[in-house]
Amino acid sequence: MKLSKKIGSLFLIFTIAAAALCGCGNEIGESKVKTIDDLPGAIIGTQLGTTGDIYASDYEEEGSVIKQFNKGSDAIMALKQGKVDCVIIDNEPAKKYVSMNQNLSILDEEFVVEDYAICIAKENTELKDKINLALADLKEKGTLNEIILNYIGDESGNHPYVSPEGVNHSNGKLVMATNAQFEPYEYRENGEIVGIDVDMATALCDYLGMELEIQDIEFDSIITAVQSGKADIGVAGMTITEDRLKNVNFSDPYTTATQVIIVRNGGDSGNLLQLKEKFENNFIKDNRWKFITDGLLHTIQISFFAVLIGIVLGFLLAIIRFTCDTTRKFRILNWICKMYITVIRGTPAMIQLLIIYYVIFASVNINPVFVATVAFGLNSSAYMAEIVRSGISSIDIGQFEAGRSMGFNYVQTMWNFILPQAIRNILPALGNEFIVLLKETSISGYIGIIDLTRGGDLIRSRTYDAFMPLIGIALIYLAMVMFLSMLVGKLERRLKNDVK
Amino acid sequence: MSNNTMIHIENLKKSFGDLTVLNGVDLDINKGEVVVILGPSGCGKSTLLRCLNLLEVPTDGKIFLDDTEITSPKTDLNKQRQKMMMVFQHFNLFPHLSILENLTIGPMKLKKVNKAEAEEKAMKLLKRVGLESKAKDYPNQLSGGQKQRVAICRALAMEPEVILFDEPTSALDPEMVGEVLDVMKNLAETGITMICVTHEIGFAREVASRVIFLDQGKVAEDASPKEVFQSPKHPRLKEFLSKVM
Repeated sequence: MKLSKKIGSLFLIFTIAAAALCGCGNEIGESKVKTIDDLPGAIIGTQLGTTGDIYASDYEEEGSVIKQFNKGSDAIMALKQGKVDCVIIDNEPAKKYVSMNQNLSILDEEFVVEDYAICIAKENTELKDKINLALADLKEKGTLNEIILNYIGDESGNHPYVSPEGVNHSNGKLVMATNAQFEPYEYRENGEIVGIDVDMATALCDYLGMELEIQDIEFDSIITAVQSGKADIGVAGMTITEDRLKNVNFSDPYTTATQVIIVRNGGDSGNLLQLKEKFENNFIKDNRWKFITDGLLHTIQISFFAVLIGIVLGFLLAIIRFTCDTTRKFRILNWICKMYITVIRGTPAMIQLLIIYYVIFASVNINPVFVATVAFGLNSSAYMAEIVRSGISSIDIGQFEAGRSMGFNYVQTMWNFILPQAIRNILPALGNEFIVLLKETSISGYIGIIDLTRGGDLIRSRTYDAFMPLIGIALIYLAMVMFLSMLVGKLERRLKNDVK
Repeated sequence: MSNNTMIHIENLKKSFGDLTVLNGVDLDINKGEVVVILGPSGCGKSTLLRCLNLLEVPTDGKIFLDDTEITSPKTDLNKQRQKMMMVFQHFNLFPHLSILENLTIGPMKLKKVNKAEAEEKAMKLLKRVGLESKAKDYPNQLSGGQKQRVAICRALAMEPEVILFDEPTSALDPEMVGEVLDVMKNLAETGITMICVTHEIGFAREVASRVIFLDQGKVAEDASPKEVFQSPKHPRLKEFLSKVM
C-alpha cells in the first residue's frame, strides 16, 4: 500500500517533468514582425500597465492582438516560445534580454521615445516641489548621469553611487513603491533591490535628509499604492501619461527612455543548457536559492497562522450558526454570520487580499505578511465554518440530550461531547481545506510579499528560464502538501482507533 | 404537598404546533416510588418524561422537584438536572469515550470529584451490573443490553435522587431485555425513585409500586399494579390491556 503510493507520486512527478522538458525543447522560427509596419495584425506582447502597453493598444484597431504580461520576462518567454510575434518593452531591459538570448534581437526603429518620472500623490504638492528641487540639483552636479552610466553602457559598474559623508536621515521616512523586475532600472541582485531608480531615490533621500524604504509590488499596483498612501512615491521607469495624471502627479522627468520592439531573429537560442547547468544557474548562482528559502519561510508562516485564525473563527461561526438554527434565537447574529460566509465565499481570495491591503488598511503602514495572514485566515474561516457546521449537524441529537440531561450546560455539552465527535467526522474535509489554504497563499506576491511562488518568479525574471523555477516550486508545494496529508492521516487514524 | 413528595406536577401542558400532546397532567410522585407509565403509543408518555427534566419545555404548567420549581426561569436548571438522570431508549452513550470515561465524566466535570474516586465508584457500579471487564472498551464494542446497563451505571454515577427511564428496553433484541430488567429490578430494591415509561407489563406488575395510565394527554388511571391489572376502571385502559396482555 505505502510502496504503491510512493511509486504513484514519483510517476506523477516524472510525468510533470517530462511534459515540461518537451515544452521547452521546441525551436520556433523567425518572427513575422520585421519592421514597425508589420505590427498591424501581429500578436504583440507587452508588460501590463507600461507605456509600451498603452501605445501598443492603438494597434488593436488594426487587427493586432495585445497580450499583456505581468512581467517583462514573461513576455520574453512567450516570445521565445512563439506565443507572441514581438514584445514592445523599454530599451534598457530589452538590451539585457537580448544579450541573454541569442535568438532575439531589437528592431532598429524605435517604437516610441518617452520620459521617465517619479509619481507622487496628487495632494502631496509639497513633496513634489521638494523632489523637483532635488532632481534639478542632482542633474546639475552630474550625479544623475553617473548613476545612469553605472548601469548602462560600457562603463557600467564604474560609477557606483555612494552617499555623501555625514548625511543624516532625520527628516523621516520616504516610502518608494517599485516593481523590481525591470533591469536595469530596478531588479534584485543577491536579494537586494538595486538599479538606476533605486540609486536615484537613494540620492534623492540623501539630499532631502530622509530615510528610503523600498516596497516591491506588482507594477500595476504602484499607482494605487501611491494614491492610497501606502507609498510616498512610485519609481519604476514610469512614463507620464494622461491616464496616470488623472490619479497621481509626476515630478520632472529624470531620464529619457525608448520603447523598442524585440523579435525572434530565427537564430539558435543558444539556450540548450544541460539540466545541471540550468539547475546551477537557477538555484546556485548569486545565491538564488535564497529566494526560494526566504519565500518558503513566508509561505509557511502565513499558512500556519492563517490556519489558526481560520480554525478559531470557523468554529466560532459554525457554533453560532448551528445554535441559532436549532434554537431560532439571535436571528440578527445568525444573519450577520450568513452574510459573512456568503461574501467571503463569493469573492476571490485575491480580490479580498487586495481589498484588505489597499482599501481597509489604505492609510496605515502595515506589514504585508500580517495582512496576508489575516486575509487568508478570514477567507479560510468561511469555508471551515461550513465544514464544522456540517460536522456538528451530523452528530445524533441524542448526544446533546444525553449531555444536557446529565446537567452539562450548552457550552460544556458542545465542548465535551459534540465537538470531539464532529472533528473526527470532518477531519478529511478540514485537511482538504488546509491544503487549499496552503496553495492559495501563492497569490501573496500581489501585495509585495516574497512567498514561495514569488521567489520563483524573481528567479525566473533573472534567468529567463521557465522550467527550473516553476518545476522546483511545484515540487516544494507538492512535498508540503504530502507532508500535511500525512499528518492529517495520522491524526485521523489516532482518532479512529478510539472507536474501532 | 407532603414532605415525602419528590415530584409535583401541576396542570402540565405541552403542544407541538397545533398538536396537543399533554393536556393538563396533575401528578405527585413520592420518594422511593417506582412509577410505571403506561399508555397507547402517541399518548404522551415519553413527552411527559422528557418534560420532567425539561428536554421538552412545557407549554404551560409547573413542575416541582423536591420543592424547587424547575419550570421557573430563575432556577439553575443544570443543577436540578443533576438530581434527576435520564436513561434513553437508544442509550446515547458517548462513543468517543471509553466505558469508564462515560461513567466518570459527569462526576468529575460537574461534581468536581477527583479522578481516582470517580473511577473507583465507576468500577463498583460496573461490577454491580457485571461489566467491570469492559471498562476500557468503547461503546461500539458492546451489545445493546450491555450498552443499556452501562447507561444505567452512568446515571447512577451522578448519585441522582430520581432516575427517568424512557422505554429502556424498546431498542433491544428480545434476548437482551431480561438482563436490563434485572438491573432495574435490583435498582428498585435500593429505594431510589424511579419513573419508567415501558411496554414491559411484566415489569410493571412485579416491580412497580404504582401504575399510571395516560390517555389523550391526561392521567386516566392512577393506582397500584394490582388494581390496574386485576380491576381496571377506565374503558380505554381495559381496551389497552386486552391488546398488550
